[in-house]
Amino acid sequence: MDIELQEIHDFIARNTLFDELPDSSLAILVKNITIRYLRRGQVFPPEGLPKKHSPEKHLYIVRSGVITLRDAEGNLIEKLAENDSHISQCLEVSTKTTGLANEDSLVYLIPCSLIKTLREESTGFNSHFLSSAEHRMKHAVEKRQQRSDSQNAMRYLVCDLTDRKPVMVQSSETIANTATIMTTENVSSALVMEGENLVGMITDRDLRSRCIAEKLDTQSPVATIMTKDLITVDDKTILSEALLLMTRNQIQHLPILKNKQPIGNLSVSDVIRHLGTNAAFIASDIEKANSPEALAKISQRLPELHVQLVIANTSASQIGEIFSMITDSITCRLLKLAEEKLGPAPVPYLWLAGGSQGRNEQTSHSDQDNALFIDDSMKPDDDKYFKALSTYVSDGLNACGYVYCPGDAMATNPEWRQPVAVWKKYFSNWIERPEKKALMLASIFFDLRPVYGETALFDDVQASMLNAAQENGIFIAYLVANALTHRPPLGFFRNFVLIHDQEHDNTLDVKHRGIVPIIDIARVFALSKGIKAVNTVERLQAACECGAMSKEMSENLIDALEYIAMLRNQHQVERIRAGKPADNYLDPKSLSGLERGHLKDAFAIIKSMQEVLENRHQTGRIA
Amino acid sequence: MWFKSLDQNKKRKRLLDKTPAGALRDYYQTPFPAPKSKVADIPLVVLDFETTGLDIKYDHIVSVGLIEINQLGVNLDSAWHEIIKTSRDLPEQSTVIHEITDDMVNLGEEVNLVFEKLLSRLKGHVLIAHHAQIELGYLKKISKELYQQDFIIPVIDTQVLAKRQLQREQVTLEKNSLRLFNLRKRYKLPAYKAHNALSDALSTAELFLALMADLYPGLDCRLKDLLKN
Repeated sequence: MDIELQEIHDFIARNTLFDELPDSSLAILVKNITIRYLRRGQVFPPEGLPKKHSPEKHLYIVRSGVITLRDAEGNLIEKLAENDSHISQCLEVSTKTTGLANEDSLVYLIPCSLIKTLREESTGFNSHFLSSAEHRMKHAVEKRQQRSDSQNAMRYLVCDLTDRKPVMVQSSETIANTATIMTTENVSSALVMEGENLVGMITDRDLRSRCIAEKLDTQSPVATIMTKDLITVDDKTILSEALLLMTRNQIQHLPILKNKQPIGNLSVSDVIRHLGTNAAFIASDIEKANSPEALAKISQRLPELHVQLVIANTSASQIGEIFSMITDSITCRLLKLAEEKLGPAPVPYLWLAGGSQGRNEQTSHSDQDNALFIDDSMKPDDDKYFKALSTYVSDGLNACGYVYCPGDAMATNPEWRQPVAVWKKYFSNWIERPEKKALMLASIFFDLRPVYGETALFDDVQASMLNAAQENGIFIAYLVANALTHRPPLGFFRNFVLIHDQEHDNTLDVKHRGIVPIIDIARVFALSKGIKAVNTVERLQAACECGAMSKEMSENLIDALEYIAMLRNQHQVERIRAGKPADNYLDPKSLSGLERGHLKDAFAIIKSMQEVLENRHQTGRIA
Repeated sequence: MWFKSLDQNKKRKRLLDKTPAGALRDYYQTPFPAPKSKVADIPLVVLDFETTGLDIKYDHIVSVGLIEINQLGVNLDSAWHEIIKTSRDLPEQSTVIHEITDDMVNLGEEVNLVFEKLLSRLKGHVLIAHHAQIELGYLKKISKELYQQDFIIPVIDTQVLAKRQLQREQVTLEKNSLRLFNLRKRYKLPAYKAHNALSDALSTAELFLALMADLYPGLDCRLKDLLKN
């Protein structure tokens, strides 16, 4: 290929549709492109010109502009923007679509005959053209998991590590005042500024060797003893590079600049601390923590751990297990601290986690759902102790970032801090006299998992609950109706249905409209088939093993969950890195065309399972 | 215009009679597309030269970029780029613009071979260029030097088409508004790294498609409507 077509080559190479093709195939691909221009309002695919136009079918890639696609009835199916591709003509079973250029558009055409050859050469490339959403989904998930972790291990940026603004003093400041500032700020180094410009750095060592040892007047300006000609790095420098700079130049501190302004001062100890931010280190620190305050401090490292795990391509289900494990450790530690403070419990009890922690599906951004089962031998007066215990733990969790449950599903609520006999009654009431509203809250309690205390207190309740639920068709029907309240945000024609409000305009709530529906489906199967597991993947696997769900559907739902949860993790980590709180609102524009396609596939899988449930249980009468 | 082009085919026959056997004679043997044929049906070739300057008498071509348009689609497999060998040193300024250095030029192809190849690519085609008098001027000059004969070809000038469209829309023409770069911006075409003969030819080709769609929304237009007068 002519090197001069490099720009088109680069554009094609950036498109994820082709990222599994070898360079040699890409070159052939580029060579076979035909460029067409569509004026706004013109028909897409561009009709050929009368008579002579060859009947060759094409794959289309939008280089610039916007094209809308409609089905045979004229309903809007999809909007194609820059980088999006339209593959339907190259599929074995192609659906008839017509489109229009909404803006003046430049479109690349690649003959389907060439695509066919390339598909035969690469199974990865071929997977994009497999007819079913499920196949494409499966491949997308597998591919992500295959990526090598080690490659990314050190790809942190220095800005990921700067959690505090550097301490800065003006160069005219006296040495004495500088020392005072450093002491109150509890830092071992400060940056010296001249107006807006960074001119030097002062460290504890400078104060000792260049001032005290030299018997210099502490009223002299700090500029006289500062280190000049600093080595600095840009905020987007890779951490491993920064570390190399520090060792090579034997320096302990490295100022980080963003737009020439210092935003941090990286120290060797920051790096060491960072390298220690892995789950095992955190867990062992939790074991040693002596107060809720100490635990709160440790939990500040969780967003960083989240970033680390996502960068290392850890699967979403593993991330869920790791964060739930950490929350479990913090909860256990808080309970032990509470017992030390309040004395031993008057009767045996069990602390249980519900919701995402119960299911082992937490991320660094979760609220708390919990419950307390108390031995039936408790006396009314004993509740004082358990109230104090719950308050201590719940406050501690809140201080650690697990904010209070907005629905008050916590052990601090007397309703959810009861003897086993009362819990049994709760469950049998929910099952025998299901009500939609009660069920929504109760869904937290159908995902309970023992965390600390007398585990046996749960076994009996769970066994009778599962027994009663399985035999009660009406309860299951209500549960199904509840599972259908959250629908994937996919329009009838495969377009995303976006949120339109001030706060989250043009986004998708991937938690409530993607992850929750799968969790709810899994719960329906678990409760109707007496499955003990509470983790969604385990529930879906068990549903398949007992024959309640087809192998394909079970695997498809697991893949869809993993994919959506992975995108959510990526989104949350991007927010954390940008200094914003993690949330669940994903802007589809931030995704590549292919990711958008996969997300739609995942939503389509959920939708089809919801339709199966709807038909099977005739929920129309309840909803 | 129509008769002018008819004249062109007549002129071509006259030149054919005068031209001795060789590449130029081969070129003249193929008729030019008929002026009344639909633009969508005839083979078009977009040409761009990078030169040492704008004075055709003294300057010379440094590189050639060419790409074909068929049925209003730009075919990338037709892309051709060639650097021309020259004995003279390149002025520093043009080296900066084209990023072609003396060393590269020394590795280039002999101008007579490049011209022969050009003739075979242009045969039976309509030439498209932006501000075509440069390309046409150099083609005529080389033809005179190598074959002592005039060179003629039907030409569509995208700059002329653009001017026509802008005037139709009553846009006030400013100093640079007819430059390739600015016209592409106007039609929201992607920004390419400018000033390489092939990427400029590609840029011109895409601009031609945009202009066609703008001037003739039904794309129903005949060659005689577009030919440069």
